[in-house]
Amino acid sequence: MNASTAWEELVSAALVGTDRRPVPGGSAPETELLERAAVHTLRMRAGQRLAGGEPLSVAPAEEQPVVSRAAADRLGRILGGERPRLLAEWLETAAGRGYRVSPHLLPELLDQGARDRSIRPHLGVLAGHRGRWLAGLNPAWDFLLQEVTAVASAASDDAREVWEFGTSGDRRAHLGAVRSADPAGARQLLAKTWEKEAPEDRAAFLEVLAAGLSPDDEPFLEAALDDRRREVRHQAADLLTRLPDSRLGRRMAGRVTRYLTVEGGGIQVTPPVVCDAAMERDGIRAKPPRGTGERGWWLQQAVARTPLGVWTRLLGRPPAELVRMEIADWGREVMAGWVRAAVLQGDPEWARELFAWDPLADLLAALPGAEQESLAADFVRRHGLDGQLIMVLGGAAAPWGAHLTRAVLQKILEVSGTQPWNLGELTRLAGERIDPALYGVAERLSPEPPIQEVAALLRFRDDMLKELA
Amino acid sequence: MIERWNRDQVLALAPDTSSAKAAQGVSSPGKWSGIGATADALWGECKGSGSTPYRACVDLSEPAYRCSCPSRKFPCKHALGLLLLWSADGVPAADEPADWVAEWLEQRRERAVKATARAAEAEAPRAAGTGADPAESRRAGQREQRVAAGLSELERWLADQVRQGLAGSRRHDHWDDLARRLVDAQAPAVAGALARLSSVLSGEDWPARLLGEYALLHLLCVAHRRLPEVVGEARDGVDTGLLQRVRERVGFPVTKEEVLAGETVRDVWDVLGRRDEEHDRLIARRVWLRGRNTGRAALVLSFAPVGQALDASLVTGTALDADLAFYPGTSPLRALVATRHGGAPAAPAPGSTPQEVLEEVAGALAGDPWADSWPVVLDAVTPAGNGSWSLGDSSGGLALHPSAGTPWRLIAASGGHPLTVAAEWTPRGLRPLTTWDEEGRVIVL
Repeated sequence: MNASTAWEELVSAALVGTDRRPVPGGSAPETELLERAAVHTLRMRAGQRLAGGEPLSVAPAEEQPVVSRAAADRLGRILGGERPRLLAEWLETAAGRGYRVSPHLLPELLDQGARDRSIRPHLGVLAGHRGRWLAGLNPAWDFLLQEVTAVASAASDDAREVWEFGTSGDRRAHLGAVRSADPAGARQLLAKTWEKEAPEDRAAFLEVLAAGLSPDDEPFLEAALDDRRREVRHQAADLLTRLPDSRLGRRMAGRVTRYLTVEGGGIQVTPPVVCDAAMERDGIRAKPPRGTGERGWWLQQAVARTPLGVWTRLLGRPPAELVRMEIADWGREVMAGWVRAAVLQGDPEWARELFAWDPLADLLAALPGAEQESLAADFVRRHGLDGQLIMVLGGAAAPWGAHLTRAVLQKILEVSGTQPWNLGELTRLAGERIDPALYGVAERLSPEPPIQEVAALLRFRDDMLKELA
Repeated sequence: MIERWNRDQVLALAPDTSSAKAAQGVSSPGKWSGIGATADALWGECKGSGSTPYRACVDLSEPAYRCSCPSRKFPCKHALGLLLLWSADGVPAADEPADWVAEWLEQRRERAVKATARAAEAEAPRAAGTGADPAESRRAGQREQRVAAGLSELERWLADQVRQGLAGSRRHDHWDDLARRLVDAQAPAVAGALARLSSVLSGEDWPARLLGEYALLHLLCVAHRRLPEVVGEARDGVDTGLLQRVRERVGFPVTKEEVLAGETVRDVWDVLGRRDEEHDRLIARRVWLRGRNTGRAALVLSFAPVGQALDASLVTGTALDADLAFYPGTSPLRALVATRHGGAPAAPAPGSTPQEVLEEVAGALAGDPWADSWPVVLDAVTPAGNGSWSLGDSSGGLALHPSAGTPWRLIAASGGHPLTVAAEWTPRGLRPLTTWDEEGRVIVL
């Protein structure tokens, strides 16, 4: 009888009791059993042997530099709950500079990535080979294997291999790299494999063509309007709208000629009565969202997809006049269409005029950086603290310069005297968007707690960015 | 100069997770004024809800903490927040401590001198061999009788259990009455061991584990009953260590003074890690140490009611040059820090192979059959997985404790490469405590 069988017999005898199942030997069966069990237990504990485990594969050597110890400590602090909203900025900055994170922080970061999609692209770079190796061990982290790696984005020699065998993220990055060097080459590369690509990849690849878009891309995009997948058709229509003289643009211009005319100093509107197959092919969705009328919905989309240059020709007025003209009945839909068009086509002239009429954050984002700042600063000075102010500021690209910074800090100071309980969102936004190098401006401005709070946040970010230099 | 501790090392000093969280709330520079640090002290004033700020300071050499806030937690969130700020390099260096800090440091130094003097005084009569007073020896005699009676009841009870069968004992309060009677019988350590048995019931193999625990308790009762005669009969030169070990496991108290008066061992002690265990609103904190030159294992144990001060004077991943006084016994592990001579540069602790670790554990069990944990340092080991996780090298590995789960942090730090890992050995497997990355940085697991 071997040791483990002997032990099992002792255990089962103890379980039913020695009254019913006596253990032979010794003076009393119960004492005998306890003594044998003691010997056995100690033999097990003291006589342990080494077990053979399946060794892990060895993670490949890293190519990227690891972040400094101070930077890793700060990441640990943020992950530990100190200023958690800065996690994305830390990750984006570190990834942008090609770093990788210290390995022991990876499990926590990958757990965050499993919950929060928005940080995954940064993790693709920061995780390094060790991160991918870990993701191979834990299915909850396998999202990482789809993300762009630092190695791929560094445009390596075996580029062809990346395009043929890389993750979808790596292939996207590769296409982007080719596009920036040789726009036509990128289009041809994509055209070759187009039919075999998965539908969700096709939409993502089209997005890459937005960079360096030119009339040469038109035939390819026009063909994509017949794709099976709606996202692909939609993306193609968006891009064609941005081409100044595309066939789609001309078709749209032809349509809107029937809808909008100038009569007696105002704009008369006759919205479409049907949405035909040709309109749908050009990216107009037939089914309106709940609560919106069909005709107004079709009108708004047609206006949004019409090249903005068309309007001056068609209606004989510059944008500045058009946005101020009386529009009969359908004014809201036409304006909404123009706003969407200005954002989609990135037209600063239209965006400027429309922003003066309705200060929308999206319009602000379509303007050059310096202009965004001065418009936003004017708006902050003229406007009370409300949801719209926060939205407009959200549209101004970070980091905010000195001009906008002063306007916002001044607003915070004003409001802190009258309604300090309303300041939470504005101080957070200020702390996160102001150029952190300006922390001294905030520190010196006033000892008021909300201002000092902004200053502390800016200083934290300034230190953080310096550590990642 | 004390090397700055990292964030994990600081947070490991917190009495509980809510303190750790609160500390992070007061660790930003904006909350503090008048902060500064010298080579071995750290101080600052933190704005609280009242009009006067709280004054917090830390004596890094010990470390010891003080704060004027009313919190009963120790170290409080202000002291921890200050340490976090220091850890993030946010405390400017100063030549001299602020006045109120200097005063506190001076008081501490005076108290330390007095304590040494008192200890020497207390030792004098013992060294002179003066006898104990009669009342005390009568009380001691009564206690011996009570303990003996309590243990013989336990011995009978265990025998009854085995005679009638363990099948009926699967209730969480099954041991409560008996444990209470053992407390009355002044055998608190056995009572505690009994009260902890309910944790054995989780898991399919509970009959085997329960039998193992009963068997070791039986062994303790028998040992306590028979050892005095064995030791008494034995001739000169017989070690009385095992007797003392048995008495410690039963719960006979050994006073701090007695321990400090005994033999001390000076070494550079690596603080391997700690584990807090809560039972009946009482927290037991185990801090594991290893001597860098002697290779000796040590355990500094402290107890406190939930939410109250635990010993926070040993920082995971640091090293200290100190005299340790060990509790008596054959395989002494539990110790007190008798004298600190200063800090020592932190570095990965010297480790052993998995086979050597097994031999060391066997040796420890030979000296103390009831030992259920032991600090070990494994050198050049990698995590290995095969259904369950283990830690080892090409010769084989030691299983991890089920509560360790998948040790992702350790796996990530390793990347399949060998590491030095400090762990707590237990009969059910290793609990990883600490490792060091390629730059020698401490990683608390």
